[in-house]
Amino acid sequence: MSVPEPSTDAGPVLETSQVSIRFGGVQALADVDLRADRWEIVGIIGPNGAGKTTLFNCITGFYEATSGRVHFKGEDVTELPVHQRATRGMARTFQNVGLVKGSTVGENIKSAQHLQVRYGALGALFGSTKASDVERETEARARAILDLVDLGHLWDTRVAGLPYGIQKRLEIAAVLATDPEVLLLDEPGSGLGPEEADELGDFLLDIRERFRLTIVLIDHHVPLVTRISDYMYCLNLGQVLCEGQPDDVRNHPDVVRAYLGIEPDAAEPAEVH
Amino acid sequence: MTAVDPTLQLDVVEVPAAEAEAEAQAAPPSDGRPSPLGWAARALAWAFLAWLVLLYPANIASPFEVPAFDANRMSEAVIFAIIGLSLNVLIGYAGQVSLGHQAFVGIGAFTSAYVVTDLTQEVVLGVLVASLVGAVQSLLLGLVSLRLTGLYFALVTLVYGVMAQQSIFAIESFTGGTAGKIAPRPTGFESDYRYYYFALIGLVAVLVVDWRMLRTKGGRAILALRENPRVAQTWGIDTKAYTLFAFAVAGLFAGLGGGLLAHRDLQVVANPFDFNLALVFVLMTTVGGLRNRTGVVLGSLFFAFLRNGFLVEKLRLEEGFGPIPGPLDVIDLSPEFAPLVFGPVLLLVVLTRLPGGFGQLARPFQEWLAGRRFRWIPAEQEVTINDVRA
Repeated sequence: MSVPEPSTDAGPVLETSQVSIRFGGVQALADVDLRADRWEIVGIIGPNGAGKTTLFNCITGFYEATSGRVHFKGEDVTELPVHQRATRGMARTFQNVGLVKGSTVGENIKSAQHLQVRYGALGALFGSTKASDVERETEARARAILDLVDLGHLWDTRVAGLPYGIQKRLEIAAVLATDPEVLLLDEPGSGLGPEEADELGDFLLDIRERFRLTIVLIDHHVPLVTRISDYMYCLNLGQVLCEGQPDDVRNHPDVVRAYLGIEPDAAEPAEVH
Repeated sequence: MTAVDPTLQLDVVEVPAAEAEAEAQAAPPSDGRPSPLGWAARALAWAFLAWLVLLYPANIASPFEVPAFDANRMSEAVIFAIIGLSLNVLIGYAGQVSLGHQAFVGIGAFTSAYVVTDLTQEVVLGVLVASLVGAVQSLLLGLVSLRLTGLYFALVTLVYGVMAQQSIFAIESFTGGTAGKIAPRPTGFESDYRYYYFALIGLVAVLVVDWRMLRTKGGRAILALRENPRVAQTWGIDTKAYTLFAFAVAGLFAGLGGGLLAHRDLQVVANPFDFNLALVFVLMTTVGGLRNRTGVVLGSLFFAFLRNGFLVEKLRLEEGFGPIPGPLDVIDLSPEFAPLVFGPVLLLVVLTRLPGGFGQLARPFQEWLAGRRFRWIPAEQEVTINDVRA
């Protein structure tokens, strides 16, 4: 696994400024400013329909923001298509598991390395020898990545038949294979019990170190997000409700109210899931 | 990056029950190596297949006497397999249905004939130019598909095919009008028997390219973008570029098939390249089994032999065809229509009972020939769900 040198340039890796998006009459996002610095884990929480995934879609390019800009590594990427943002080191996961489910585990990880596979797709058809060398490397790398998430033994299994939890883990392995600098994770902890969520937290901290990643994380599992985040945002109704240190945000009266619809002293925020 | 220690995979990791189950599915218990007798049987089977494909059609080391006419039909079947593989790239890999493939093939046929007859070039060159022209026209049609998918794209290809018939095929200097264009055979492959080998070389080339495609970057990108374009994009795959790539490859194969067909017939006329043919192409590919190379080849051979009357003759079904006796004798059931009768029936079977098509039927034999156990392998359930991009 090639480890990219941490860039020395200061400033945020990922920044959205005044990002807004409207769907017909619905203001899904209103002037959202989000900032993630290098090596940081940024958590985003918020009730259902708050616009968290919509924000991800604006950042990664699936939606075009009605107004506002997205900057990535100092470059304005607002107008770029999804795959070009990926080329620059942006990777994301999906709520409903972003994998090619009809293919095998191994094929998925190999496909995900698309950007690392450096030979012409056309030349490879007509027998360029470089292709077979690179293919061997690609496979070895795929196996190494799968071993990292303890899924190496599933190489030939079709993804569709795997349990949900395994698919989630595999999805993270696949985006790691794209060699990203920023990882946007959309509810990686959904469906996990408290212990598994703990493990996931450790795993994310570990891959941050190992691959020098910046992670932006959406999850409803507030204790998980609070534990591993360096900075936290709470979205509600398309707006940033509050931001700051994880513990401050978690206990912020507005956040508790948004989640539970009741006054803060009526409930313990720790029970919020 | 360090090389992966192969023993790593043998480490027993604590796996949850569900995972262990999945693992069990993935790696069936090793069924041991075949006995010497088993190997002998397999060697015999391989030898028989090699004889059937390489020697039988040319009456070499064969107790049978294949007439030249039938050898010609076999060439046609081989060329149909090339066309089937072309459609497999479009429908199977990229998820775009082409109902205008007869135009791809027809333009390839006329191009090759034109290059050889009017420009007096070698046949090999003519066929190569036909492939390139096929790739280019397919690319142009592919540009449309970036906007339209599914049913709408299929309609566009249908219109394209019919339009090509009415316009391009009507250019007399290119197609020679109703008389058609002369398309001589390559030197050394003039006889019907020898031309079979010429076509076979084409099929082998297409199979190799197809095989390489699935094992490299381009093929993986196409498969990923058919099933999940959003995920493909986040992996950095330029979905537009790779859709066009699939079209180019499909056009390349179709053009090659067209060129080979032209020189088989010695003369190309526009008439046979009609919508009927396009339907046969789609049927043979689908019934053969999308994304299954063996299946597509078998399906194409089957439909080609059904269409050119070879099967009807060999199975002595002539009485079922021809003019219907009695008051309905105006209806002449030509074997050419047989695929359109059998096709939908087989399609129903494929959709309901055999999602992997002929390819699924062939799988156990393939497993056995490869030295493993003869065993039924159920088709992937999703096969019907994700075939065509919505």
